[in-house]
Amino acid sequence: MPEQISIFELISNASLLVQVVMAMLALASVVSWMMIFQRWFFLRRVQREVDEFEHHFWSGIDLRELYAELEGEEALNGIETIFVGGFTEFNRLSEQFGAELDSIMQGAQRAMRVALTREEQRLEQHLAFLATVGSTSPYVGLFGTVWGIMNSFRSLANMSQATLASVAPGISEALVATAMGLFAAIPAVIGYNRFSARVEALMKRYEAFSDEVTSILHRAAQARLGRQ
Amino acid sequence: MGWVIRQYTLPLLLAIALHAVAVAALYRGFSPEAAISNVIKPVIVRSHLLVLEPEAKPKPKAPPPKARPKPEVKEPEPETKSPPRAEVKPEPKVDQEALRARLEEARRQERLRTMAQTAFDDLLEMESSEIAAGDAEAVAQSYRYGIYERVVNNWSRPPSARKGMQAKLLVELVPTGDVVAVTVTESSGNAAFDRSAEAAVRRARKFEVPRESDIFERHFRRFALLFKPEDLLR
Repeated sequence: MPEQISIFELISNASLLVQVVMAMLALASVVSWMMIFQRWFFLRRVQREVDEFEHHFWSGIDLRELYAELEGEEALNGIETIFVGGFTEFNRLSEQFGAELDSIMQGAQRAMRVALTREEQRLEQHLAFLATVGSTSPYVGLFGTVWGIMNSFRSLANMSQATLASVAPGISEALVATAMGLFAAIPAVIGYNRFSARVEALMKRYEAFSDEVTSILHRAAQARLGRQ
Repeated sequence: MGWVIRQYTLPLLLAIALHAVAVAALYRGFSPEAAISNVIKPVIVRSHLLVLEPEAKPKPKAPPPKARPKPEVKEPEPETKSPPRAEVKPEPKVDQEALRARLEEARRQERLRTMAQTAFDDLLEMESSEIAAGDAEAVAQSYRYGIYERVVNNWSRPPSARKGMQAKLLVELVPTGDVVAVTVTESSGNAAFDRSAEAAVRRARKFEVPRESDIFERHFRRFALLFKPEDLLR
């Protein structure tokens, strides 16, 4: 196609700085897509695990049995760690002699909150990166564009006869940087919004679940203390 | 560690595949010019060389026999041998020889005529089948010739033009045939020549274009024109 310059020629003709900007944006785009896919698979898996666990939890199984079952597993997923953390602490405290109901419950709650926080961190991993790419890569692209246009106008100043044809390639090549910035930013922003909404929904479920576990443990502790 | 790597391999591969697809799409479809294959070239009339030597006769005669009277088909062998004989021994029996030569000459003329006739028929047939095969292409081709002719007519030869110079122009038309843009895409190396070619298109201002919009869109909305005048000085 000798009639028109291709986009790859534009890129190869661009100045070094613009090329560096483009390379950064391309890298950002690849990495952010990688994060998007990774988060997507991860959150889908977590969602499935939560569904399965809650189903199992409410199937009328005895909590001790469930706990023993989970102890046997080598890797626990998110919601399981919350339950195991709370239940372990509860057992440990209630076995101590003379422990008060309130202090047992507070300990169990604290343990679950720790697990919850850790889980939240795990869910939100990489989202900050997506947010950064989404908000900065248009500016990075714009910087490349402004730089490219600046140069092409500066070279125009040296010409005696300025024609559109003498600036157009420079501007076109500079605009490639903006296009790349937007190309990187748009999926990142969409991914960020979508995933943070899902993380939030999951966190709500975790919190509700930990409250439910608290109330069950509370009931159990009261029963045990009453027997003593 | 292994788990972490495994967790990211698939996403990484997917991300790379996605970008590869994007780049490939750009490579194929970035410039609309990629689709421009309709280059208007100088009018070239294809000439079929008719070899009218008696020696060549047996071969070309092969198809026509069905259409032509039989007797002529059988003639070739004796005839082909005779001219050399006539030249080798000119001495004996002058008047009989002359008579035979005249007879031969007459037959030869006849044969040449029929040969030319069949060759012409063949060509006609070929042409009509070509037209039947690609109406649209043929229509476009005829308009292309018209456009090229018009450009050449509007061209004023710069003094520095030399034989073999050619410039490729990108011409954009609107459906009325008016020229809206013309640019030199491949220079001849001579600025004056390029300018003159561009000016010729501008001066032509309006071309005859087919009324059928699909032919126009495909061939004449934007097209490359290879300007290569034949009558340049050496």
